[in-house]
Amino acid sequence: MLPKNNKEITNKWLNKNLPQVGELSKIDPWWGLVLIVLALIVLLLVSQPDPYQRILNFTEDGIWITLLVTLVSSVLTLVLGLFGGLGRISKNKVIYGIVSLYVEIVRGIPLLVQLLVWYFAFPAIIAQAGIKFNIPAFKNYLANPVMMAIIGISVCYAAYMSEIVRAGIESLPAGQMEAARSLGMTRLQAMQYVILPQAYRTIMPAIGNEFISILKDSSLVSVVAVSDLTRRGREFMSTTFLPIETWTMVALLYLLMTLISARIVNIVEKKTKMDK
Amino acid sequence: MDEQPIIQIKDVHKYFSDSIHALRGVTLDIYKGEVIMIIGPSGSGKSTLLRSINNLEEIDYGDIIVDGFSVKNHKDINKLRMEVGMVFQQFNLFPHLSVLNNIMLAQKIVRKRSEKDALKNAMILLDKVGIPDKANAFPAQLSGGQQQRVAIARALAMNPKIMLFDEPTSALDPEMIQEVLEVMIQLAREGMTMAVVSHEMGFARAAADRCILMDAGKIVEDAPKDELFTNPKEERTKLFLSKIL
Ligand SMILES: Nc1ncnc2c1ncn2[C@@H]1O[C@H](COP(=O)(O)OP(=O)(O)O)[C@@H](O)[C@H]1O
Ligand SMILES: [Mg+2]
Repeated sequence: MLPKNNKEITNKWLNKNLPQVGELSKIDPWWGLVLIVLALIVLLLVSQPDPYQRILNFTEDGIWITLLVTLVSSVLTLVLGLFGGLGRISKNKVIYGIVSLYVEIVRGIPLLVQLLVWYFAFPAIIAQAGIKFNIPAFKNYLANPVMMAIIGISVCYAAYMSEIVRAGIESLPAGQMEAARSLGMTRLQAMQYVILPQAYRTIMPAIGNEFISILKDSSLVSVVAVSDLTRRGREFMSTTFLPIETWTMVALLYLLMTLISARIVNIVEKKTKMDK
Repeated sequence: MDEQPIIQIKDVHKYFSDSIHALRGVTLDIYKGEVIMIIGPSGSGKSTLLRSINNLEEIDYGDIIVDGFSVKNHKDINKLRMEVGMVFQQFNLFPHLSVLNNIMLAQKIVRKRSEKDALKNAMILLDKVGIPDKANAFPAQLSGGQQQRVAIARALAMNPKIMLFDEPTSALDPEMIQEVLEVMIQLAREGMTMAVVSHEMGFARAAADRCILMDAGKIVEDAPKDELFTNPKEERTKLFLSKIL
């Protein structure tokens, strides 16, 4: 009995990435994991309100900051990545050159270092320029940590997104662009109505993965004065000296957020595939 | 025919690289209402010639003038392309759009027709190519022959003055070739100017006016179809015909 059941379960899980018509209405087994993590968090909160309830209360605003940074960065990354991807396939050598240089540079520097540049070096450059050219607004320039963090993440992730978009466009047969152009469409019209809608379907999973990576990597912004979930966790630990409880709770909260995001991405993905 | 040719191809050269000289001085006039069949061995430059007419390939030397527009004048290239319909070997339908939307898209965004006009025109054309019942299907749900007929309807929807066909039946199963050829023959009878790369003798017999043999980037022989098939002048033509007939 057991082996048969096991096989059924394995098959079901293996098939998870091969969506079939009507599967959307079935319940995705991975939601079970979301429920388990959620149950674990509730269990901790109910069984030991002190310290777990205290940790949650203390870090709650950090959760919102983490979600805000993730969401805004994801949207910006998508928009910048779209233009970056178009730049990477541009026939204009100047545009191609500039975008390619940007992609190569950004991909060669760790995100943490980029965030430090945006938060510490960039405002210093502005201030010095302000002194040199006597621009008062620049002299007193103060970096907004959340804004700098969002810029830092978006600029970095857009480089990777550009490559995803480029690969998605290049994966389509050349005949698609040719058919569109032969009907008199401009390159831009062909992109908008023929190429991108098709590329979107193939790159949708990769885009979703990038968003989830942004959620996780957003914890790096804690070192540039952004009071996100990670930073709030560190603050709580340093006043209470409860490392085990603090980081268990923070880790579970991140896990819950990433698991839910993964499910949402999965649903969107299946919907896109079924539209076909 | 004393009027101006609708397509003038003048001493055209095309290089894909230093070593690949795909067109080596092709000169050809095509008149309104003419149906020209282009034959020749694989790699002889037939596709390149056809694709140069609507500037899908940019020529390196010479000129091509289509209904007054030169392919060298990049500003007018989309106007030129509106006048030239093209049908590809691989159909190249837009897989994310329904049959109707495949036919309506360029009408709306290039010809700037209203939704209603584009739809009406699309239905008329689907009727003409014999598959009005597939209007709401997606390309993947159609047979190869049906897809190619949709592709013809999509090109016709722009009201082109010239239609180019690049081996339109080569990717089809044998039983579907006839249904596509019939649509093309009908089009020829209605007076469409056509340049067709194909080795389908059925089409040649029924619809072609002139036949051109290409070899190694050059036009080897250009003659009325009866002459070329029954009484070829060039050795190259005789050799090639002996292989395909
Ligand atoms: N995009 C391309 N890049 C490089 N060489 C090409 C390309 N397209 C065609 N060619 C070459 O140009 C020559 C003519 O090709 P083509 O016009 O496709 O011939 P045909 O249609 O008669 O078979 C061939 O040698 C072919 O290999
Ligand atoms: Mg060819």
